[in-house]
Amino acid sequence: MTGPAELAIIGVGQTPSRRRHEGSTPELVHAAVGEALRHSGLGMADIDLVIGGFAPDALAGENCPDKRFLPAAGAVGKWSMRVNTGGTTGIAAAYAAMDLLEAGHGDAAVVVGVERMAQARSVPAVFNSIFDPIYERDTGLSTVSMAALRASRMMQRWGYTAELWARVAERNFKHATSNPLAQIRTAYTAAEVLTSRMLAWPIRQLDACPISEGVCAVVIARTAAAGSRPAAVVRGRATVTDTYNMGDRIGRREGDLVELLTLRLAAERALGQAGLGSAAGADVVEIHAPFDHAETMAYAPLRFCAAAEGPALVATGFGQRDGGGPVLNPSGGPQAANPVGATALIRLAECALQVMGDAGQRQVPGAATAVATGQGGSTQFSTCTVLSRN
Amino acid sequence: MDEPAGGSVPPLTIDGHWAFDYQYFAGAAASRFFAGLAARRIMGSRCPQCARVLVPARAFCDACFVETTDWVQVSPHGTLETFTILTTSFPGLPEPPLVVGYVALEGASTAVLNFVDGIDLTDPDAAGARLLQRPRVTARFRDSCQGRITDFVFTLDEPA
Amino acid sequence: MRPVYLHGSAVSSTWRGASRSLTDLIFDCVSSALRQAGVTAADLGAVVLAAHDLVDGRGLTSMVTAPAAATYLKDETRLGDDGALAFVLGDARVRSGSVGTCLVAAWGRASEGPVDEIAHALFDPFTARPLALTEIAVSGLRAARCLGDYPGYGRWRDEAAARRGPRPADPARTPATAWPLRGGELPVWADLVAAAVLSSSPGQVRVAGVGMSTEPYDLGDRDLTGLPALRAASAQALTAAGVDAAEVDVLELDGLTLFDEALAAEAVGAAARGEGMTILASGDRVNPDGGYAAGYCAPAMGLVRIARAASRLRDGQGRDGQGRDGRVALATGSSVVAAQVQAAVVLERTHATQDADGRQTTQDMQDAEGA
Repeated sequence: MTGPAELAIIGVGQTPSRRRHEGSTPELVHAAVGEALRHSGLGMADIDLVIGGFAPDALAGENCPDKRFLPAAGAVGKWSMRVNTGGTTGIAAAYAAMDLLEAGHGDAAVVVGVERMAQARSVPAVFNSIFDPIYERDTGLSTVSMAALRASRMMQRWGYTAELWARVAERNFKHATSNPLAQIRTAYTAAEVLTSRMLAWPIRQLDACPISEGVCAVVIARTAAAGSRPAAVVRGRATVTDTYNMGDRIGRREGDLVELLTLRLAAERALGQAGLGSAAGADVVEIHAPFDHAETMAYAPLRFCAAAEGPALVATGFGQRDGGGPVLNPSGGPQAANPVGATALIRLAECALQVMGDAGQRQVPGAATAVATGQGGSTQFSTCTVLSRN
Repeated sequence: MDEPAGGSVPPLTIDGHWAFDYQYFAGAAASRFFAGLAARRIMGSRCPQCARVLVPARAFCDACFVETTDWVQVSPHGTLETFTILTTSFPGLPEPPLVVGYVALEGASTAVLNFVDGIDLTDPDAAGARLLQRPRVTARFRDSCQGRITDFVFTLDEPA
Repeated sequence: MRPVYLHGSAVSSTWRGASRSLTDLIFDCVSSALRQAGVTAADLGAVVLAAHDLVDGRGLTSMVTAPAAATYLKDETRLGDDGALAFVLGDARVRSGSVGTCLVAAWGRASEGPVDEIAHALFDPFTARPLALTEIAVSGLRAARCLGDYPGYGRWRDEAAARRGPRPADPARTPATAWPLRGGELPVWADLVAAAVLSSSPGQVRVAGVGMSTEPYDLGDRDLTGLPALRAASAQALTAAGVDAAEVDVLELDGLTLFDEALAAEAVGAAARGEGMTILASGDRVNPDGGYAAGYCAPAMGLVRIARAASRLRDGQGRDGQGRDGRVALATGSSVVAAQVQAAVVLERTHATQDADGRQTTQDMQDAEGA
């Protein structure tokens, strides 16, 4: 991230995440974008770029749903484009806006990440269609089973257990009770996680994210545009893409499948740009992990600890509010709400709200620096973004 | 934030059906790989730059971004590196529960994904604990091959 | 800001090549562009891709296809949008100085999936899909309006279409028509990949200006023949480049059918209102490779047009498609849903020449300071 412009998130708007929204997508988008603009103090006339994110089309039953909803975000007469990078879609859309602003194409952008999954009746079949049709689809893989392959390997390598991961889930659910926008606001205990329905061994229902719909919008502008209003300045950002084949990463010298090499590289760059040695130096970390085991896979890349020390770190209750270290997922994280096309942007938006002091009941007092991660594909796309107060 | 006001008209839904049919070109490399399976051979292709043997065989090494050169047969024996037990039912696929996993075959630099047959799954946690030991497996070819990855399946060398 | 140069590009247009998988086609074209640019995958700082999941029949296509586009451990992103938009994003990354060398690639392999059914699913499920709308149908609506409003369209359509050369015999390559469109005016479906390498080190072709704009989703809200988004996008690109429409030598305009290309010619100022078809009939200034008839598949087309424009500038092609020292090119790309988003790119030939090794050097620049 170079270039003369310093950029900041100056406004955030979100719908609640729900299993099913009744409104049309343009209506939901319009509401979220309106809220983000009001929060930013800018009007639609001040916006030059409108960047949309949605993934995947099949779950909405609409080919390129962005073309229908971006006008509701103010795109008509402006530059607009749609990003689609699976789970990282929301943050990749924000990065595209930042790239365009850094090149001088305008002063302010609206970025909107959207998910409508409730319109689909055959979700697993859609998630099977993301795999290579020539060598892998016939094995019936889906996002949950793909994740389970990684969870098993973490158990085998580092001694993680279902019990430890259930504690991570418990912490996320507890945090979510302070977030009125979260879909799940029940404080499930670790015991309840361990007795929930098995999805793909060893992943149970409450280890995994819910199926969610929702819209998140942010306004990104040059920091000067915020004036004396609070803003979340982008101090560092990076995205790295790995090979698709999980089998190519098993036993790979540069980094095994579950060492999450691309997040390690992205975090190195983003933290380095921000002058942070580790994400543990932040006050808030929003980790994009649709499963509790996946959250712990991010600990070493974020330099909370070495990979083998992860289980011990979980056992200390790391990440709790008032725990003395960074608060992990004060929003509740993806376990409480995971609208796929929006979720990576929600991580960024929640971090922005925290450093702007606008996180309401879930505010971490005095939060000044926050880190947001993004995950997509077969843990193939990783992003890391560092924000701090202006 | 609240939903926009809806008024007194009941919200409408309309049924839709998506069924796009595709015909994917497997390409020369995959076609040759599947022909190998029919001849009961699992083939890998070698990258001339990093020397990895990629299984299933591919036309190019994406890490080095060069075309692969030699084709080598790898052993049908290997180690189950990771696995899961599937519970979702798909039309056209065998009924769950099913074990699927990545196997590092001897001679291959990458692991290959496939089903693992013949495991007692009445107690999934017990099966899981056993499979976490990275057991040895062997590829067994089906009697009739269809040019799909499922033309072979893995079985444990020692029954679980 | 840094100047941006287009160093190498490649286009591959094939049909049902059974020995090549989709990833093989992408790998081949990207390799070719890298070779032409004189760079390797390792030199790339970033990659920007354009592809559609439904066209590829892969639920998150870049997951399985990005590796074929030299993205291993790279900063990569993918637009579910036209290749010209990806090009604008790639250009921005180099222009801002955040990336030194950026690869842009776009593709669409029409022979693997049902093109019209997929296009049908673009339209509003409540108001448009029940009316069997497809992209071709909207082109038909535009064409009907043109025939009604502009005598030149009816007068010159046959001559314009005749310039596009013979069509392939395979009926699967021509979509079902929508009146008034005739066979020779319809796109020829193809398996397309395009790739281009951008960097801030000097080269033969400079990106002089870019522009973009968006129209409403609802067709009833649009000016179907005025193409306001393209009008705005090309005006922005020309202004940024500091050139008038009259100075453009090379035109590569994206359009699904003959009529869409004709309207595009008007929107970019290459023809007066109502005269677009006339200009297509009178020479090879627009899309001498055949345009829509040389192979079409969204979302590759904007990048195909840009790559063709760069190639024509490198070859010194001018206004009539012949060697006449063309200096300025305008290339456009349109998104799905009947060109709802349009992008325009102005390229300029610098006075660079090749040295003895075939590598490009710059003798003197058109402008001392880039955009």
